Amino acid sequence: MIERTQALWVIYVSLGIALMTMLLPLPMEWRIFRPDFVALTLFYWVLALPHRVGVATAFGTGLAQDLIEGAPLGISCFGLMLATLVLLFSYQRIRQFDGLQQSLVMLALMVLSSGIEGWLRTGVDLPTLPLTGLLGFAMSMLCWIPTRHVCRQLRRHYGVV
Amino acid sequence: MLFIFRDDPRVNAVQRGAIDGVAFATSLVIAPLDAWDRLGNTLQSRSSLQEEVLRLQQENRVLKGQSQRLASLLSENARYKALLNSARDIGDDLIAAQITSLSPDPARHIVMLDKGVNDGVVDGQPVLGAEGLIGQVTSSGNRNSRVVLITDSAHALPVQVNRSGLRAIAEGSGSIDRLVIRHLPATTDIRVGDLLVTSGLGGRFPHGYPVARVTEVIVLEGDAFATVFAAPSSLLDRGRYVLIVMWGDLQREAAP
Repeated sequence: MIERTQALWVIYVSLGIALMTMLLPLPMEWRIFRPDFVALTLFYWVLALPHRVGVATAFGTGLAQDLIEGAPLGISCFGLMLATLVLLFSYQRIRQFDGLQQSLVMLALMVLSSGIEGWLRTGVDLPTLPLTGLLGFAMSMLCWIPTRHVCRQLRRHYGVV
Repeated sequence: MLFIFRDDPRVNAVQRGAIDGVAFATSLVIAPLDAWDRLGNTLQSRSSLQEEVLRLQQENRVLKGQSQRLASLLSENARYKALLNSARDIGDDLIAAQITSLSPDPARHIVMLDKGVNDGVVDGQPVLGAEGLIGQVTSSGNRNSRVVLITDSAHALPVQVNRSGLRAIAEGSGSIDRLVIRHLPATTDIRVGDLLVTSGLGGRFPHGYPVARVTEVIVLEGDAFATVFAAPSSLLDRGRYVLIVMWGDLQREAAP
């Protein structure tokens, strides 16, 4: 009975939906501007429930992302895990920030995780993002507050603890 | 990390399974958009359809005429080759396929096709667009496969200038309308407008498919090498229908 009231499935379903947004068709040159809802949703859950969502979930999410992109398995895991670790160390402080400050934190975390991914990609001779990719981070940053709002409503509605 | 298990067959199986899974998920996501498209098609007016049928019939007649000549040329060519005692080219088998989606990774030019191992697709098969080569199959699931386009910046292919027979390597530039040829001596005979075709070296692509047309030749004063830019013959970001070429060793390996 206790298991049921925790409603942990909400976390995984929301991550799944975020992964689905990667599949929405976009013209080739516009793919850069696709907000990274996967990372945002993951970061939200780490921030809200650090005792439930942590490095292992980040690893799984990164793995799913690689499978969808057809990239070498594990290449985006390490960045996401490290960003999650940073959040786990400092979630108490970041929770106190207002929306804009949190957006900036999310920007920094996404730059960190994709920076590491790019570094690993260079290691295996795969193409990395051009400089215009930074605009994509800006888009993701703008999407933090809506994402946080939706996830928070979900968390309250289903009573995820 | 998982790099250690890179060549593990179980990991490969998971990745191949994921191709079909991703394709299925994509079809779910875009189902509403597809339905809208289909609605538009059914509502298309009768007269515009008739016009299109007429246009296509004319086009078909022209193409038929051209292909008749092609057949005679092919047989003539085969006779010449027999005279020269060289290996005879056999016509390549083609599988028609449809592009279903783009990879979400913005750094790469990878598309998903709706044909897979079950249809005879093998990794490494060349893929043709309407006007020329567009890429090659990199990984295939049972019903879907991934194709890396020639403009992907991790892709390079051996080409030949049609006019002079000059051989070179055309690399993808990461931008959809441009290939780069580096390390050509500055005195090389290559001009704007030259057609680049596959050279057949390396054994991955059959000889003679059009690839790109040279758009720019840059020779800097005092440089030993020229940089050549070319635009792919096929518009890689237009059109949905492609042809997968079954040829050579790949086909023989695939046959049971």
